[in-house]
Amino acid sequence: MNSLKKEFSTFTLVLIPVAIAINIAVGQLVLNLKLPLYLDSIGTVLVGVLIGPWAGAATGFLANVVWTFSGLFPQAMAWAGVAAIIGALAGVFGRAGLMKSVGMVVVAGLITGVVAAVLSAPIAAYVFGGVTGSGTDAVVAVFRAAGLDALGANLAQGGVSEPFDKIATFLIVWAVMLGLPERLKARFAAE
Amino acid sequence: MQAQSIYIDHPSALHQLNPLTKLTFTLVFLVAAFALPNAVALIATFVLILVPLAASGGLLLPLLRSAFWLVLPFAISLALIQGFFSPGQTALFSLGPFTMTLEGLGSGLTFAARLLLALGGTLLLMLSTRPDKLMLALRQRGLPESLSYIVLTALQIFPRFQERARTILDAQKSRGLETEVGLLRRLALLVPLIAPLVLGSIVEVEERAMALEARAFSYKTIKTSWISLEDSRAQSILRAAILFFGVVLVYLRLTGFWPQ
Repeated sequence: MNSLKKEFSTFTLVLIPVAIAINIAVGQLVLNLKLPLYLDSIGTVLVGVLIGPWAGAATGFLANVVWTFSGLFPQAMAWAGVAAIIGALAGVFGRAGLMKSVGMVVVAGLITGVVAAVLSAPIAAYVFGGVTGSGTDAVVAVFRAAGLDALGANLAQGGVSEPFDKIATFLIVWAVMLGLPERLKARFAAE
Repeated sequence: MQAQSIYIDHPSALHQLNPLTKLTFTLVFLVAAFALPNAVALIATFVLILVPLAASGGLLLPLLRSAFWLVLPFAISLALIQGFFSPGQTALFSLGPFTMTLEGLGSGLTFAARLLLALGGTLLLMLSTRPDKLMLALRQRGLPESLSYIVLTALQIFPRFQERARTILDAQKSRGLETEVGLLRRLALLVPLIAPLVLGSIVEVEERAMALEARAFSYKTIKTSWISLEDSRAQSILRAAILFFGVVLVYLRLTGFWPQ
């Protein structure tokens, strides 16, 4: 409980809405650039890495609440739990010192991607009938055609796209952190 | 500054209801969407309960329009994927080695109906309730103030961030950044686009935190609210009744009362 209180300083409470806005803005930007990624959890991973697992989890969960409220993507609520775990993992990896070298950053992204794929597949399969209503459904169709059931096909689709997405997310967060002013870096080290 | 949402103001009894009452409606619509057994029951609930509720709030057209555009991509994917790949006996037509079956198409469309009811129920709450009022109602029931602050602030600031992202994209383009290039090059482009957005906003965070502290943000006391909420005994009975109905639906589903 103590670490929970410590993570949620006024600074953190102001940082989280900004991180959520970054999730949304970058997510839309990536759509405009027609990239085969989502990159809608950059802010979540950033808060996890900078502040800690609790703050990361809160950012992920509340980001999906905000997606739902904004009317841009009301179904986001169904994925709030997965987003929370992504943020928590980023916090754990940050604490473990995985954000220090490119190799470790890729490993952290890979693990997060695999976990996200495994947790998302049952939601896609049982809540949304095995589809996501987006372009990735073509990939799901290919795996169904190959003989997999709804859960298997969504797991395979997530297994293909999630690790790439989360590795890219972690690499971008790492690149951004390199550019943080020294004064702010010192502040986060103290949190 | 107003929170950015799809709320539509309209003088109606639905809008006047306590946000908790509307949240209860939404929860039970979500339960019904996954507890009801077939497309007929799902569509009937949508048409006979959800549609009149939305109409009473003057929200019928916005609700139907949003629900249609949200569910359409799911319906198309579900009809194709379930139609071709779910087990079924009655063949409708074949496309190469794959056969569209009546049973597969039916199960796909049933799922689309579930999503219609679930998303429709969510939209009803969002269209008829101001986010700050919903958060206030939840705060009165013990939701930590910090969580409601985060959600409402994020809703206020995200349009400005989208604007800023577009400005950065334009600025980098005017410096000669090519966005119409191959996939790997476009991935590398993301760093000069995202870094200014993130770094610029994190520097602001510290200033905002200090400004809030100067206004007793973390001072532990009961803070009064500018907005007030109506609630009544009738509404709390209504909430209990709807919740009971939801529990009954789950019970019927779990005991297999309905034929699958």
